[in-house]
Amino acid sequence: MLHRNNLLKVVVIGVVVGILALASGVNSVAAEQHIRITAVLKTLANPFWVAMASGLLEEAINQGVVVEILAVPTEEEVEAQLNLCETSVLRKPDVMLVSPITSRNLLPCLREVARQGIPIVDLDGNLPLDFAKGTVLGEEDIPIKSQIASNNTQAGEIAADYMIQQIGTTGKVLVIQGLSGNITGMQRAEGFINRLKAKAPGIQVIGPFAGDWDRLKAATITADVLTAHPDLRGIYCANDTMALGAVEAVIAAGKGGQVVVIGTDGIKDARDAIMEGRLSATVAQLPYLMGVMAVQTAVKIMRGEAVPLRQDVPLLLLTKQVLEAGVDPLLKYIR
Amino acid sequence: MNKMFNTNKIKSLRLSSTAIIASIRRIKQRTRDLERYVGRLETLLALILLVVVISLLTPVFLTLQNQMNVLLHVSVIGIVAVGMTFVIIMAGIDLSVGSVLALASVIAASFLKLGVPGVVGILIGLGVGALCGLFNGLVIAKGKTPPFVATLGMMGIARGLALVIAEGRSIYGFPRDFLVLGQARIGGQLPLPALVFLLVAALGHFLLFHTRLGQYTLTIGDNEQAARVTGIPIDRIKLTVYMISGTLAALGGLIFASRLNAAEPTAGIGYELDAIAAVVIGGTSLFGGQGSILGTLIGVLLVGVLRNGLNLLAVSPYYQQVAIGLALIGAVLLDRFRGVRRER
Repeated sequence: MLHRNNLLKVVVIGVVVGILALASGVNSVAAEQHIRITAVLKTLANPFWVAMASGLLEEAINQGVVVEILAVPTEEEVEAQLNLCETSVLRKPDVMLVSPITSRNLLPCLREVARQGIPIVDLDGNLPLDFAKGTVLGEEDIPIKSQIASNNTQAGEIAADYMIQQIGTTGKVLVIQGLSGNITGMQRAEGFINRLKAKAPGIQVIGPFAGDWDRLKAATITADVLTAHPDLRGIYCANDTMALGAVEAVIAAGKGGQVVVIGTDGIKDARDAIMEGRLSATVAQLPYLMGVMAVQTAVKIMRGEAVPLRQDVPLLLLTKQVLEAGVDPLLKYIR
Repeated sequence: MNKMFNTNKIKSLRLSSTAIIASIRRIKQRTRDLERYVGRLETLLALILLVVVISLLTPVFLTLQNQMNVLLHVSVIGIVAVGMTFVIIMAGIDLSVGSVLALASVIAASFLKLGVPGVVGILIGLGVGALCGLFNGLVIAKGKTPPFVATLGMMGIARGLALVIAEGRSIYGFPRDFLVLGQARIGGQLPLPALVFLLVAALGHFLLFHTRLGQYTLTIGDNEQAARVTGIPIDRIKLTVYMISGTLAALGGLIFASRLNAAEPTAGIGYELDAIAAVVIGGTSLFGGQGSILGTLIGVLLVGVLRNGLNLLAVSPYYQQVAIGLALIGAVLLDRFRGVRRER
């Protein structure tokens, strides 16, 4: 009797797994033409990546191709993402779109992808490229067909220009970048800081600190810096999740409205916060558009057409005025 | 005549029912004996069932390449879990393994960039792990600190040190003789990390069931007071076990770094929980005093196969997390229903 109970439970586990597996229809789109694209994103826990996934899926429907979106639960799971990548290569996709969590964690897998002759597209610019050779920097056996990304340095510069516009040419500004070792966060922070140095050398920069793309970490850093520098005038964060955390800390310290907070990405929560007057601005990347461009690029590659090695995705500074006016043509790509 | 016939029938019925009861008892005993070595039997059955179900759902699963991948992918967590098994059997816990993994890899990487040979780098990394384990053991045994608190502290210390030493960036580009650890394939197929994991598991099994260290570990975990009274050198065993855990975490970190050709100070985040989950699914009790390395091996494989299968089926990572959480709870609840006592 006891053994029958065990067997029953084991069967139940098996059935549950089976059902979950069949529910995997969630992640792929069926189509007539069978170009199969695998997209290894960082994580789906951030609206930025969710918007990119929407762009990928909707353009895939338009183009009649299949796109499978894979990701890991958090932006810290470097080994898990590598494992995911290695597993997906075995299914022999036609094109691989990748957004590695760090600039190096997927290289062993990408080497194998290249060896199998599968074209690689860098989504969101996390791979350092050798533009002369068309490969990953320092890795001649990993050719990249195209890098589709916003210019992160430019994003920082746009934020810096707006910051100077808002606070003038003197004062203290806090800079919070992303996950340690991540090139995107570093480029945005450096773009911001260098622009400030060039245009407003009187501004004192505090940081950059690593916020790990985390709302709570950014809030903690902000609270601590506000305690040490109560006369802080502005805060720049390398993504919106952190900026929203910083905003909470500013309000909690009783300085709501006295500190200019600028984020990056343009996610919905940030836009809502801008309309409410809590967040000052954000430099919107257009991840939805990036996803659309990625699928179009993949289709072009499979058709044998040439694609540019670097494709810049436009950026858009979102402030209350811009959102209220609602006339900018790029606004339709905001998700 | 009738009476005689009836008596014979009754006798033979009685004989066969006795025989049946006896064989059920024998099966139960054999199961208990088997479980002493392979942990929870249902986990093994679930693993087999999972393999069957996934193979039916995707043909890629059973290919040699994929099976080798699965072994490769579980090797780091697996090695860490072997160390964790010892700690848990001793009724302790080690939350610092993820951070020690990162610290060891970062320090070894720094030395490798200075030009030391691969073997020296590996020994330095293992040494870092042993030192962290020693520190943990001292705080716990001599400092009489609860293992949760002590290793939680080390978790922060090691992670912070790793970030400081690496200046928040990855350290990459190692010499060939180090990369061989994570990237070599025996016979062109079996990844070296998988072989290392299997060897570590075999060694761990031997240590646990065929040495005094293992016996003492089990005894301390079962009843520390009694162990003390019988003259077992508790402090020394605790130090040794935590050092084993630290060293194996470091080994995991070295394999990680050589596999990625980069040491990340943010490596191994969450690995302590994955290791604990594998150990518990494998049949070791969190209350200590009983457990098995082979059980952990099966637990690690179960989680690895589940992840691999769901990846092959392009199931969202969130379902993977739910599935593993359910498997963990399911495994422990199964004990309840079976009336197996894994707690005091």
